Amino acid sequence: MRRREFLGGLGILSLGFEIGCGPSPIVKHARESGTFAPNAWVSIRRDGGVVVEVDKVELGQGVTTLYATLVAEELDVPIDAVETHYADSLPAYRTSSGMQLTGGSTSTRDGYLPIRKAAAAAREMLVGAAATTWGVPPAECRTEGGFVIHGGDRLAYGALTVSAASRPVPSSPNLKPRSAFRLIGKHGRRVEARAKVDGTAKFGIDVRVPNMVRAWVLHGPVFGANAISVRSDKALALPGVLDVFAFPGGVAVVAEKTWQAIAAARVIEVTWDRGVVAGLDTEKLRAAARADTSRGDEQLQTTKGNADKAIANAATKIEAFYEAPYLCHASMEPLNCTVHVRGKKVEVWAPVQSPSVVQAAVAEVVGVSPEDVLVHTTLAGGGFGRRTHADFAVQAAQIAKRVGRPVQMTWSRESDMTQAQYRSINFARMRGALRADGNVAGIDVHLLGQPLLEESIAAFGDALPFPRAFVDTIRGLMATNTLPDLGSLEGFDNTYEVEHRRIAFTPIRTKLPSYFWRAVGPSFTCFALESFIDELAHAARVDPFEFRRRLLPVGSRARRVLDMIAPAWSAPKAPGVGRGIARITYAGETEVAEVVDVELVAGRIKVRRVHVVVDCGLAVNPDIVRAQMEGAVIFGLSAALDQEITLANGVVQQRNFDTYPVLRMFECPEITVTIVDSGEAPTGVGEPGLPPIAPAVANALFALTGRRLRRLPLQKELDVS
Amino acid sequence: MKLEINGVSVEAAVPAETPLLWVVREEAGLTGTKYGCGRALCGACTVLVDGEARRSCVVAAGDVAGKKVTTVEGLADNGVLSALQEAWLAENVPQCGYCQSGQLMSATALLAKKREPTDADVDAVMSANLCRCGTYPRIRAAIKRAVTALVGKP
Repeated sequence: MRRREFLGGLGILSLGFEIGCGPSPIVKHARESGTFAPNAWVSIRRDGGVVVEVDKVELGQGVTTLYATLVAEELDVPIDAVETHYADSLPAYRTSSGMQLTGGSTSTRDGYLPIRKAAAAAREMLVGAAATTWGVPPAECRTEGGFVIHGGDRLAYGALTVSAASRPVPSSPNLKPRSAFRLIGKHGRRVEARAKVDGTAKFGIDVRVPNMVRAWVLHGPVFGANAISVRSDKALALPGVLDVFAFPGGVAVVAEKTWQAIAAARVIEVTWDRGVVAGLDTEKLRAAARADTSRGDEQLQTTKGNADKAIANAATKIEAFYEAPYLCHASMEPLNCTVHVRGKKVEVWAPVQSPSVVQAAVAEVVGVSPEDVLVHTTLAGGGFGRRTHADFAVQAAQIAKRVGRPVQMTWSRESDMTQAQYRSINFARMRGALRADGNVAGIDVHLLGQPLLEESIAAFGDALPFPRAFVDTIRGLMATNTLPDLGSLEGFDNTYEVEHRRIAFTPIRTKLPSYFWRAVGPSFTCFALESFIDELAHAARVDPFEFRRRLLPVGSRARRVLDMIAPAWSAPKAPGVGRGIARITYAGETEVAEVVDVELVAGRIKVRRVHVVVDCGLAVNPDIVRAQMEGAVIFGLSAALDQEITLANGVVQQRNFDTYPVLRMFECPEITVTIVDSGEAPTGVGEPGLPPIAPAVANALFALTGRRLRRLPLQKELDVS
Repeated sequence: MKLEINGVSVEAAVPAETPLLWVVREEAGLTGTKYGCGRALCGACTVLVDGEARRSCVVAAGDVAGKKVTTVEGLADNGVLSALQEAWLAENVPQCGYCQSGQLMSATALLAKKREPTDADVDAVMSANLCRCGTYPRIRAAIKRAVTALVGKP
C-alpha cells in the first residue's frame, strides 16, 4: 500500500474500525512498511523516527514548529527528533469546516488538542505494546526520549511499531497535564528555520519536476482583460520558446527556462479588450460614498437600544467619516503554481492556503473530479489571505492543460499587484454622542464597502473554504438581499459596553474582486472605531486610556489587557512625541492593546516605539507569538502609513514596490511585546496585532498635532490636509 | 559563458544580458536566491559579486564573467553555518523566510566592510531588503549578535 493511499484512508484518529475483522489498515501498514501510523498525523518508523504530517501551510506563522512541539510534547521525544512533512491534499485533512485550509488565525486554536491527541494516542499504544511484552500494567510504564521505560527495562519506539499497531486506538487518550509540559509554553527555536538560512528551503517557486517547462504570464493593463489579438512570431523564433497563447485573463509564454519566457514576453504584441473593470475609478467611488448619506436601504447588522434617539437627545454629538483604500497582499513570493496534467490525473505543487479550494478549481478547469487532483503544498513566501484564492492555480492549470508537460507558472510582481484580490476600499460614517456626564450615549456606524462574503461565494461557488450548509445559508440571504456582510463588519462592537448601538452596511458593488487580507474586516473597522472612540474621549475631556477603560466590562480580558498597557501609556515622553492608544477584541477571542509613540520629522510620520500587550490564552510558543505581533505591527504600519491601491479608468496605478511601498528597516519602530500569562485555551495570533496599529498612530498624531486624520494611508492624508 | 558561483565554475549557455538571478536559479540550480520584484526594489535576489551586495535581478550575467559570485548556499563552510546564519537561528529571525537569503547576503556584505557597524550603518544597508513578515527587529538583533560573536573571537 502506498503511503498516500494509506493516509488517504485514515480519518480523524481512525476511530471505528473493528478489532477482530482481519488486520486493520494500521496493522497492515506496520507489517508491510515497519511504520506505525495510528492516524493521519503521527507516524513512527522502525528506526524510531517520528514524523508529523503538517496539514497547514507554513506561511511564516510558525505552524511547523507548532505541530512539532505538540507531537514532541505528548510523545516525550526531543523536538529535534520530530520530522515535519507538509501533508498532501487528502480527505483526512479536511478538518477546517470540511476544508483543508490555513487562515483566520485558526491553526493553533484548532490544532492544539487534535494534534496532541494524535500523538498521545500513539504514545498510549506504544506503552500498551511494551507493557504487554513485559507483562506489566501500562500505568507502571513511563516514556522518555523515544523509549518506553519500566524499572530497568526499556524498549525503543522503533522496536514497538508493529506490536503497537495492533493495539486498540484510544478515542480519548490521556493528555499531559500542563504542569508536566517540557516544550509547550516555553521558548523554542523554529524547526524549519535552518533551511531558511542556508538556502535549501523549497518554496513554490523552487519546485523542480522532471521535464518541467516554465510559463510567464502577460496580463492586460485593466484588471481581468482578455487578449483580442496576439503577435508572437518574434517571440516564437527565440531559443527555448515553446508556445505563446491567449487564455481567459492572460497570455501565456511557455519556454524551457523562465528567463527565456521573460525575454520572449518583451517582444510579444497583445491587443487587450477593456477588461472587467473598465472605467472603475477610486476617486469616483470616494465621491459616491461621501455623498451617500441615505438611510433605509442599508443592511442592519446590529441594533441595540435606539441609537438614533439616544444621539438626538444627547448633549454632545460627533460625526466623522473614515476612509481606507484598496490594498494588495504583496507577499514576497510572487504567485506561482506548478501543474502537471496527465490524462485524467492532475498533480499540483504550490504555495496555497487551501489545497481543497485548489483541487475544486483546478478540477473544473481540467475537466476531472476534485479527487483526481493531488495538491502538494510547498512552503509559502507569505500569504496574508491571498493564497486561499485559486485564481493563479486556475491559470496554471489552463496553461498546463494545453502544454502537456509539467508547467511552472510564475507571475511577475506587476501581475501579482495588478491582478490581485484586493482588500476592499472602505468608508465608515460614524455618529456618536456623549451624555452630560461624559459617558457614551450611543454609537451609529454605517459602513460602505465591497461585500466580501458575497463576492467570495460568487467567485468560488462550491469550492469556497466554507461548509456547504453555510454557503447555502449565505446564498439564501443574498437572494433576498438581506445578508449583513459579516466579513466586512466584524469588529465594530469591540467589547465596549454601549447602551445604544446601530451598525449597518451598504455594499459597494464593483467587478474588482475584494478579498481576505490579513485581519480582514478589522483591518478597517478597528481604524474607524478606535479613532472615533478617541474623538469621543477628547470631546468628553477624558484621557483616552481611561475613556476606553470605563467602556470595558469589569473583569473582562479586554480590560485586563488594557490595564497591562497602562505603564506604557503613562510613561514619561520627550517633547515632540505624540502618544496614541488603540485596542481590539479579535474574533471574540484574542485581546490586543497597543500604545505608540510618534514623531514628525520634516513632515514624515516616524513611529518610534510600539508597545503591544496580547492575551492569546496559553502561548504555545511565546517567541512565535512575539514574532507574530511584531510582524502584524510592521505589516499594519506599511498600510497605515503609505500603502494604497488606486484605479484610474480601470487601471491599477501601483505595479511594484516603488509605488506600493513596504516599510523598510530604517523606519521600523522598536516593538515591545508583553504576553498575558494565561491558562486559557490558545487562540489565534497571526492577525490580531494588526488592526490597532493604524488607529493608534492616527490617535498619536492627533495628540501631537491636533489634526485628526480620518483617511488611510495617513502620510498621504497628512500631506494633503 | 563561464561563471564562478560559490567557488564552482558554471557553464551557462545564455545571452549576456540574461539577469544573473535566473542563471543562478535555473542554470546553476541554486534556488536560495529569490525572485521578488525584478527591478532591484526588494532585495530578495541579493548576491555577492566580488564581495559587493548586488541585486541579481538587474545584473546582466555577462557583466559578472570572471568575477566571484556568492549566493546564500555559499555562506556555510562545509555545513558549518556562518556567524550571521547562526545568529539568524538564535534570534528566530525567519518567518516565511522568502526574503532571508537576500537579507543574509546584504548583512554579509555589510560585516565584510565594517566589523562593528553602528545602528545607522545597519539600517542604511539593510533598508535595501524588504521583509513583508516584519522580521526587521530580529534582523537588527541578529546582526548585533553576530558582531559580538565575531569580534569576541581572537
